[in-house]
Amino acid sequence: MRNTAAIMQRELLSLFCSPVAYIVLMGFLIATGVIAWVTSAFEPGAPATLRTVFTGTMFVLVIFVPAISMRTISEEYRSGTFESLMTAPVSDFQLVLGKYLATMVFYLIMIAGTLVYPIMMMIFGSPSLGVAFSGYLGLIAVGSAFMAVGIFASSLTRNQIVAWILGTIPLVLLVLFGQFFVQFFEGRLRSFFQSLNIVRRFDQFNRGLISSEDVVFFLGVTVLFLFLAVKVVESRRWR
Amino acid sequence: MIEVKNLSKFYGHVRAVDNISFTVAEGDVVGFLGPNGAGKTTTIRILTCYQPATSGSATVAGHDVFKESLKVRTEVGYLPENVPLYPEMRTREYLRFRGKLRGLDRPEREAAIARVTERCWLGDVIDRPIGQLSKGYRQRIGLADALLHNPRVLILDEPTVGLDPAQIRETRALIRELANEHTVMLSSHNLAEVEATCRKLVIINRGAIVAAGTPDELRQRITGGSKLIAELRGPNEQVAAGIRELNGVSDVHTEAREGWTRVTITSAKDLRESIYTMSTQKGWPLRELRREVATLEDFFVKIVAAAREETVTPKV
Repeated sequence: MRNTAAIMQRELLSLFCSPVAYIVLMGFLIATGVIAWVTSAFEPGAPATLRTVFTGTMFVLVIFVPAISMRTISEEYRSGTFESLMTAPVSDFQLVLGKYLATMVFYLIMIAGTLVYPIMMMIFGSPSLGVAFSGYLGLIAVGSAFMAVGIFASSLTRNQIVAWILGTIPLVLLVLFGQFFVQFFEGRLRSFFQSLNIVRRFDQFNRGLISSEDVVFFLGVTVLFLFLAVKVVESRRWR
Repeated sequence: MIEVKNLSKFYGHVRAVDNISFTVAEGDVVGFLGPNGAGKTTTIRILTCYQPATSGSATVAGHDVFKESLKVRTEVGYLPENVPLYPEMRTREYLRFRGKLRGLDRPEREAAIARVTERCWLGDVIDRPIGQLSKGYRQRIGLADALLHNPRVLILDEPTVGLDPAQIRETRALIRELANEHTVMLSSHNLAEVEATCRKLVIINRGAIVAAGTPDELRQRITGGSKLIAELRGPNEQVAAGIRELNGVSDVHTEAREGWTRVTITSAKDLRESIYTMSTQKGWPLRELRREVATLEDFFVKIVAAAREETVTPKV
């Protein structure tokens, strides 16, 4: 536990010492701002909901989440600090978990920046707070699953840029094509691809519907990819 | 303290470490010596649980490096070869982080940091970002990190590489001092360093152990084939023939030099007295007579040269 906390703390410190963190924060806030503007969520007479903004935000996360996680493990490989970490009494699991928690803290800080939109909406209208809450829960669930994929990608390579690309590609496939692929398949495969449709699952949260199935799905993806990352880190022992 | 039995490591088909065995007793200071690429770092990485061995076994402080890796890691203080550090952290932050990983609670940690800061002369840089520090300081931070939890075993991979002469001397003195409290194993490709700091040597080349023992033991083994050099004024052939007749001569090489004959003799015995007697009996004046004792350096250089030749020769 203490090891995980120590690794998390150190990772956060390093994140905030690197320009990447600030570029990601700034880029994300600009992108969500543009989305809020383009979707005219704040037009007079429009319904007091952030649903369109949140949907757009999810697409933006495909690019920004792997940018947060890309350095986590690959930078340790590249700088050689992986060796000093792995020769200290730290388990592979503690390492991956610490990295995940650190990037999630950063992620929460990042999406906290979008809280201005529900606050503005409360000033000018009367949005449903429950729906806004469930929307944020959805963002956290999606972000957590994406982060796990990103950390897995980071565990595969010593190059941050490669880690970012490796993290983004599967997310792009899942988010953008998940919906289109479905129509090419029949039967079991179709329902399989339907269950991978992240856009639809996220939209449930966005409508204020927190279903256990969706929560389990995102948690499951998180656990699966963190587990895979642990296995990759471990793999140097049997290579 | 460290026991290595028939340890081998292959990277694909490349043999990095080939069936080596050695032991390091508690309180020993062992120098692991070999040219670059001999397998030193690979062996050390196996002992510190960073990499698995392909076959064979190794125990450190009584724990198997593969089965009880976490226990081994708590007993070992390790200085990796290139001293990887986080450049964005300050020295104190880094040592605190490492202290936490070592399971030290806050008062223990602060005490340990104060102790290693003094020991490794880090007082000046304790609050500076590591990225701004010179190689010498980085090396000391690595050493401080290895000492933080007061481990029973210290494993140092090339501890003085990249330091200036004054720092090398300081580091060697520090290692000798540490040897009183810890079992130390250090690797080096520099014989002088190992001779200056270690009580025992293990010489490794191309993955295999070539020689092991105390420096004196090794020296004795090498002096077996020592050389005598003599310069006499006498006819070349007669001098050579005369010397060949002496007892214990295995090889004679003569060379004419401005009327003098320079003889290089390889022998198992010290023949200086018999050569002097011969020169007086035959009336050949003697102007030089000395015995060249082979040093460990010669031995080591021979090993390195052999390794280099083999790597230069293209493989068929």
